[in-house]
Amino acid sequence: MSKNREPALRVIGLRKAFGDHVAVDDIHLTVPAGSFYGLVGPNGAGKTTTLAMAVGLLRPDAGSAEIFGVDVWRDPVQAKALIGVLPDGNAMPERLTGREVLTYLGQLRGLPPAVVAERTDELLRVLELDSAERTLVIEYSTGMRKKIGLAVALLHAPRLLVLDEPFEAVDPVSSAMIRTILRGFVDSGGSVIVSSHVMALVERLCDHVGVISDGRVVAAGPLADVRGSGTLEDAFVDLVGARTGGMEGLAWLTS
Amino acid sequence: MAHLLTPGQAVLARNMIRMRLAVMRNSLRGDNASNLYTGVSLGLVLALATIAVAVLWPVHLPVTLAVWLSGWIFGPIFVGGGSEALRPEYFSMLPATPGRIAAALLAGAFAGPAPAVNLVALLSLPVYGWRFGPAGVLVGLAAAVLTLVTMVMISRVVVALIGLFVRSRATAAAVGVVTGTVIALCGNGWAPVAALGGASWSPLFVRVLPSGWGVAAIEAPWFLALAILAANAAVIALLLAAWSGLLARRVVSAARGGVPPRRGTPRPLPAAGGARIAAAKELRVWGRDLVRVQLLATALSFAVVMPLLLVTIGAWIMVPFTGLIAIVMGAATSANLYGSDGTALWLTLMTPGAERADVRGRQLAWLVVVGPAALALSLAGTLASGLTWAWPWVLGLLPALLGGGAGVVVLLAVTSLVPGTDPHRRGGNPLSTGADETAETSLAWLVLLAVPATALPAAGAILLNPWAGVVTGVLTGVLSAWGLGRIAYRRLESHGVELLNLMKYGPAPEPGEPTTADLPTHHRIGVTISYLIAWLPLFPQGLAPLVMKVLGVEERVWFLALYLPPVWQWPTIIFMIAIGLLMYGYAILTPMRLSSSSSATR
Repeated sequence: MSKNREPALRVIGLRKAFGDHVAVDDIHLTVPAGSFYGLVGPNGAGKTTTLAMAVGLLRPDAGSAEIFGVDVWRDPVQAKALIGVLPDGNAMPERLTGREVLTYLGQLRGLPPAVVAERTDELLRVLELDSAERTLVIEYSTGMRKKIGLAVALLHAPRLLVLDEPFEAVDPVSSAMIRTILRGFVDSGGSVIVSSHVMALVERLCDHVGVISDGRVVAAGPLADVRGSGTLEDAFVDLVGARTGGMEGLAWLTS
Repeated sequence: MAHLLTPGQAVLARNMIRMRLAVMRNSLRGDNASNLYTGVSLGLVLALATIAVAVLWPVHLPVTLAVWLSGWIFGPIFVGGGSEALRPEYFSMLPATPGRIAAALLAGAFAGPAPAVNLVALLSLPVYGWRFGPAGVLVGLAAAVLTLVTMVMISRVVVALIGLFVRSRATAAAVGVVTGTVIALCGNGWAPVAALGGASWSPLFVRVLPSGWGVAAIEAPWFLALAILAANAAVIALLLAAWSGLLARRVVSAARGGVPPRRGTPRPLPAAGGARIAAAKELRVWGRDLVRVQLLATALSFAVVMPLLLVTIGAWIMVPFTGLIAIVMGAATSANLYGSDGTALWLTLMTPGAERADVRGRQLAWLVVVGPAALALSLAGTLASGLTWAWPWVLGLLPALLGGGAGVVVLLAVTSLVPGTDPHRRGGNPLSTGADETAETSLAWLVLLAVPATALPAAGAILLNPWAGVVTGVLTGVLSAWGLGRIAYRRLESHGVELLNLMKYGPAPEPGEPTTADLPTHHRIGVTISYLIAWLPLFPQGLAPLVMKVLGVEERVWFLALYLPPVWQWPTIIFMIAIGLLMYGYAILTPMRLSSSSSATR
């Protein structure tokens, strides 16, 4: 029972350097159980690196990560049973069809084949991948890759979903459907952490946000606290630092 | 309003050259730089040797140049499509005709070390021409440039043909069969030449090859020389036209990553868990990955052709061992199992306890793919050869090597992984995995050494008592597959994350951690040469005659020791084995010794 009071994900002092470049510098985050958490930040802020370390796919230089109180690096088997992950840009078993990927991974996890078959059918149908029965994953479009990745993350009914850019390259209809799935998952007691740089989406979906910039947390907490009186986008630009941008340098384009 | 710009030919070519050089400069880090310097040094040694041939043994110049040509043709096939620093896809949106882009890409193709080294080798032509006076030197110079362009063009056309037409299992297997046959010819090709009385027609043959046109032009009267050079230029123009056509088709062909076409919905996976489901997955990959189809075909065709070549001179000695050769080659060509799947490893790591099932599944699948073929080839070969003494050897070594292969491939796949490009990010060449070819080749050599080593106990037992050897073979085979597989999955459990990130981000730059790149140049060249030729004294000139002497086989084949007076035979065999072992020892231990001494001083 004690696990229910533990946060879904607690990240303590994570740090990672690639050569001389410090990608993540002493990051602390707490994702409360049952929350829908948005991790936002500009490109290259360290979101992907942080999430990879939090789920056990990248060994941190320092710090630790706990999932419902289970240390990811000390007790990986138990921690991995609790989470479903969608990493950004990793390969899949490319030469299997979508159905084969789900069947293979489900049975590899030790789920009964009948359960795997039933869930696979349902996931393929809901995510509209069932029309591509003969297509290997390597031939999938970017959006289809996201969807099969999401199906893999959901397959074993985890308690925490860690999704890196789940809406990128996904068409609006699929995006709405994924949002519905995730909402339902949180309403039924699950926890979700998504990374994104689409502020409007995070604002609509999440109840908690963490803002990362240059490998550090610049703000974190309930959505209302972080955004204050304005929009999340305004708060984000304030926090990360406004950049002058635009057309003044591109005179040749408008002439 | 912006106006339409079409880049001029010269500008385009100059930019391609700059871009190619920039890519090369940026990739010159760590092992890449080391490989480049080693390759260039070796190439220069060979180029100077070619010039020496032109001076000392001019008769053999055409055949020497034919070797260079075969390097241009088969090098890219062996290493999976050649360097793709400038992919044609990058330039598909340039507003220029395919012909212009092809010509510019060709200019880019020359901005590398290989053509420069080859040009040095081709300076052997004017050197040879010196014998025919100043006109000979002039013709030789012109021929050197034309031959270089021809060789590079032929190489590009071969790569483009592969990229475009290897789209099915049949074509991938065909490329594999050709590759395996050529490797076998490199080893035993002398046998059919000798059987056909090759000395009489070979001088004409090597002059008819594109590599020999220069020599033919130098030797010909001036008008014929000019005609040959003009014809060569015309061939270049034709090749360029063919290449630009192929490139244009490649750019618009959508296939990626070497996926064969499929007919229907695949049959369902078996309702199993653990290693069985992992094996089922792996078996499907074997059938659906054209790179694996090609490599397997290479291994099997080499195993079949190599012994058959000796049959042309009446030597059946290797035929019973066809299946055993197939096992060792099959292991060598599947040594990078995890590297070829790329970052898909994350799924194994995120599935609790899946590492063991994955390793065992890959072992099972490898055995299913290689085992039946090896068994059939062994039985057929031994029966066909009629060599009854070979039975205990075949039956004892077969299980030993199969088990050893199943153990070694997974162990080396996790300890010596060579990162490539993820399958879904590969370019238009279906046989290129984007991995560092030099590293993949040394991994294959490591397998070629390690797998036979696992069969040594069985071989020893066969010498004592043939049927005890069969039992030993089964036992050591099972033990190797089980034990080495166990080490492999333990390693995957403890270091899987590091392997994943090696594939995702490349080797971690750890300050103070020495790599092969830190070896002094002479050691680096020495290590490479040792890897390349150490097998020659150890296996064909050492262990093979040893086995034949022990068995009392009366065939000399091409084993130096067996041609010597009896009193010198054993010392020669021991000397050859010692040389081979010393070279391997040097190649393996020197980098280790240097790295341990530098980490000790850290």
